[in-house]
Amino acid sequence: MNHIKLVIIASRNLKRNSRRTLITVLVSSAGFAALAIVGGYMDFTFFGLQEMTICRGFSSSGGTGHIQIVRKEALTKEEQYPMEFGIADNDILQETINNSNKDVKATVPRIEFTGLISNGERATSFLGMGVKPEKEIKLMNYWDDVYKNSKKNVFQEEMYKRLAMSPQNGVLLGESMAKALGATVGSTLMLMGTTVDGAVNAVDVTVAGIINNSMKTVDRYYLVTKIETAQSLMQTDKVSKILLVLDNTCKTDGVLPAVASKINRPGNNAGYSVIPWYQLAEYYHSVKDAYRIIFGFTGIIVVLIVFLSAANTMLMSTMERVREIGTLKAMGISNRWISMMFLYEGLFIGVMSIVVGLLFKEIFTLIINNANFEMPPPPGMSSTYFLKIYPAFHFLPWISLLLIFSTTCSGFLTLFKIRKLSIVNSLTHV
Amino acid sequence: MIEKVVAKLAGVSKYYGTGEGRITALDRVDFEVNKGDFVVLAGLSGSGKSTMLHLLGCIDKQDEGESYIDGIDTTRMSLEQLAPVRLEKIGFVFQSFNLVPVLTAFENVELPLLFKGIDKNTIKSRVNDILHELGLQERMHHFPREMSGGQQQRVAIARALVTNPILILADEPTANLDSKTGADIVNLLIELNQKKNITVVLASHDSVVLDRIKHIVNIRDGKINSHS
Repeated sequence: MNHIKLVIIASRNLKRNSRRTLITVLVSSAGFAALAIVGGYMDFTFFGLQEMTICRGFSSSGGTGHIQIVRKEALTKEEQYPMEFGIADNDILQETINNSNKDVKATVPRIEFTGLISNGERATSFLGMGVKPEKEIKLMNYWDDVYKNSKKNVFQEEMYKRLAMSPQNGVLLGESMAKALGATVGSTLMLMGTTVDGAVNAVDVTVAGIINNSMKTVDRYYLVTKIETAQSLMQTDKVSKILLVLDNTCKTDGVLPAVASKINRPGNNAGYSVIPWYQLAEYYHSVKDAYRIIFGFTGIIVVLIVFLSAANTMLMSTMERVREIGTLKAMGISNRWISMMFLYEGLFIGVMSIVVGLLFKEIFTLIINNANFEMPPPPGMSSTYFLKIYPAFHFLPWISLLLIFSTTCSGFLTLFKIRKLSIVNSLTHV
Repeated sequence: MIEKVVAKLAGVSKYYGTGEGRITALDRVDFEVNKGDFVVLAGLSGSGKSTMLHLLGCIDKQDEGESYIDGIDTTRMSLEQLAPVRLEKIGFVFQSFNLVPVLTAFENVELPLLFKGIDKNTIKSRVNDILHELGLQERMHHFPREMSGGQQQRVAIARALVTNPILILADEPTANLDSKTGADIVNLLIELNQKKNITVVLASHDSVVLDRIKHIVNIRDGKINSHS
């Protein structure tokens, strides 16, 4: 059989019922555009989430950086005393990395430590992070460079600046912790902790700023101080980890082996693990999974609507063409070929819907991207951002396939109807 | 000369409905059509002539009896299994022409050939020839809505003839035409029967038909009443 002829018949039949075809195409193309826009929003959201995870983080650990370097033992063994598996030669290591790889924009050392903080009357435990504020600002600025749609987190940057300018032992406290200790900016408090030798040590600190973390439990126990303060408390020159900031997240997997081989060279104190950001980003993965389920569910609903709309058109078309179908059957044309005609109609509707849908998608994307819709801060963040829809080209073939599949399947439904039609009754059907 | 039987019904009965409301459309009918015959099935509405035509054309199944087309026993074949038999051996002409409205005259006529897997050039020449023969060369690329009833019925006849079937079945082909056009159509069928030895079975109670055909089978209450 000449399929071209079937295609011609299908296209002419669609033209014959142009109004109904138009409505079906509009519904299907709206479905296509909706899925494509949701896909674009997904891409935008995941990208934002990824970059935020790298630059800002969602907990006391701050941003993950693109790559983290830790001692291998830190991942497999329990420390017998603080900083047992810390990085001792961190300045040399940072220099080696900075000099060897042009894709590394900055290295950011950090210390994680715990202890007690006291105002003289009351004491509470804390989770502390020792940082180099100016380097943390660099990490945050990476975000601002790549993610221009977000409002700059002025508050957080300001806090790090205050810490950088504070005297030797400045500290940033979580809001709840500050409240619990009755501390305000300028208050003097005492940090108590264990040194690397196991002795108890204490340092006086001055509150340089009070930060707000939307996670209450983190807010209650979280503090940030300069790396030198943490080192002085613990009587060490080690750091817990070194974060690498690249000029582009896409380069992570490329830089990873180069850095690993450079710092693990024999005679270079071998024994560092080089961990990409995505292996450290549990929150990112859980949010992404949740979003995928939500978007997937939305997709199923849209596809179902498209399918039902196309199926309605196909079945209506079958009902209107009972006599024609009966005639073809009487002529000896098999049910399979007659159904094929309707399959082509479904296929046509699908193709037309993709073309119109792409147009809709582009128009709506243009409107949304230029409207600067301000979105509320995402979970764990305090800054708002402007809604953007990314092109999501990688989604389009899948959405197109889904659409074609659903409209063509709706044509397939007619096979059941066609099979049941009595030839004799069809010939006289009015 | 041995006459070749083109279609045969043997002891065929057809019922509609069940139980007490059951209607006997055909009652143990025996009927044969030979090659080159032109037979008219005549009778009042509801007499069973259309049912008989449907059974001969393999578009309906009898409840009792046997049916044959060109020597093939079609009794136990399903309607879907009979599709290739219809495509190969039977041509239909319907009362309401039943052309595919979105196709031109040419396309309507070529339709059954496309499903037979015949090559493009043969299809083109065969369709052209038949449309010329039936005087439709001017209407070749017209859609059914652009043609008169008579022209549409000619296209329907061309479509029935184009596959070179062994049997043409026409169900009330003049019913939707005025008497002059109806007469033209009947004359055309007679001419085709005489010139090309095409076997035609026609169901009608139209005097335009009955006046012109000798071989008339009268059907009454589902039984063959008389032959002429």
